[in-house]
Amino acid sequence: MSQYIRNFLRFALIVLLQVQILNKITILWWPEPSGFPLFIPMVYPLFILLMPFETPVWALLISGFLMGLCIDAFMNTAGIHAFATVFIAYLRTNVLNALMPRNLNDYINQSPGIKNMGWGPFLVYSSFLILLHHLLFFGIELWNFSNIGYLLLKIVASACTTMLLIMVYLLLFTRQTANR
Amino acid sequence: MRTFILFIRRFFNLILFLALEIVSIVLISHTQTLQGTDIVSSANTVSGLLYQKQSDVIYYFGLRKMNDSLLSENMHLRALLSARHEYDTLKDIVIRREKDKVDSTHVIKYAEYKYRTARVVNNSVSFANNYITINRGWADGIGKNMAVVSGTGIVGRIVHVSEHFASALSVLSVKQQVSSRLKDGTIGYIAWDGERPDMMVMKDVPQQIKVKAGDSIYTTSVSFFPPDIMIGTVLRVETVKKNNLQLLYLKPSTNFRDLQYVYVVENKMDMERKKLEDSLKTKP
Repeated sequence: MSQYIRNFLRFALIVLLQVQILNKITILWWPEPSGFPLFIPMVYPLFILLMPFETPVWALLISGFLMGLCIDAFMNTAGIHAFATVFIAYLRTNVLNALMPRNLNDYINQSPGIKNMGWGPFLVYSSFLILLHHLLFFGIELWNFSNIGYLLLKIVASACTTMLLIMVYLLLFTRQTANR
Repeated sequence: MRTFILFIRRFFNLILFLALEIVSIVLISHTQTLQGTDIVSSANTVSGLLYQKQSDVIYYFGLRKMNDSLLSENMHLRALLSARHEYDTLKDIVIRREKDKVDSTHVIKYAEYKYRTARVVNNSVSFANNYITINRGWADGIGKNMAVVSGTGIVGRIVHVSEHFASALSVLSVKQQVSSRLKDGTIGYIAWDGERPDMMVMKDVPQQIKVKAGDSIYTTSVSFFPPDIMIGTVLRVETVKKNNLQLLYLKPSTNFRDLQYVYVVENKMDMERKKLEDSLKTKP
């Protein structure tokens, strides 16, 4: 499979996963969290995180914007997801450059993953960008910083659940991606 | 000119980044008011259909609960009906006649409401602004700014409409406040602080009004909801020292987590009322 088809399929899969399952967790499967903030894992930035190493920044920005708009259309947030995703898409190349030992163009046809980065650097890379994304999203969405402890707790709880799901995703799909 | 092109090529990524962020901010700012435009919303056909398919699957698991809620709503309506028509003694007849008189002068002329049923295909409670997608659109007569109520209480207002779907901004939203009244007629407003879906706050209640936990709160005739629909019951009362007003924390009577069917309420007098109010505003 070419990189384009794979990324397109991943786009569709992640949108469906996010919209049809993850957004419903707090409604269907976790009725009463009693005082703890209702958090929502948002794994769709994983699409940006897993784009191939040599993707130019403009392509990252545009695909991030499309991804964000797509999620926005499902969740009625009109641009907040797009804003946060474009932001992390812009920072992605810099973060990867800081973490990887070689030039990014040397990794031909590879996506960031635990096989070519190792668990440590990948977790640093993904958790930094995911936390940033969640911070922007929930901050802009609530736009009321009078109860900042609650907001931070919501952000941290969401980001931790997201990271957990990302690790599960990597464990499930690593073998197929590593061979290419 | 050449330096300009060089500049663009050098900072192309930064310029694209800023442009996309500005587009996002414009989109966000359009929806910050309730009169915003609907460029991206879950009322569009693709996401509406996707949500409908999913809700078709989940639908069967909630049938028992839905039956129970319909039964209890029927019971409530029957109780109301019997209160209007039961007359054994002379006293009751007098009351009934008085009620009928009120109906013929005020109620029917002043507020004519048309109810339409709709099924909820998507729902959320965990964001700062929660939306509900229903499977009725302008083809079924749904319009913007109509009220949405459930069998037990208020739900929200319609903000986006497409042909077969509409999305409603739930009252669990930091953007929207609902005018409300206590049992004795004191008017305040209900807001949500964006935290717990089972807790809302009624503000601006003067301190001399005695409120106890368990009191009911209803909608007023000033809001876009039909009057006298239950909003919730008071959980606890808190006094603000600064301005001698009370905050009433209340539990909404609608269970926002399992909404299955809702009623969309059209106020037939709304256009006329709005026209009159707007004409008053333009005059000096």
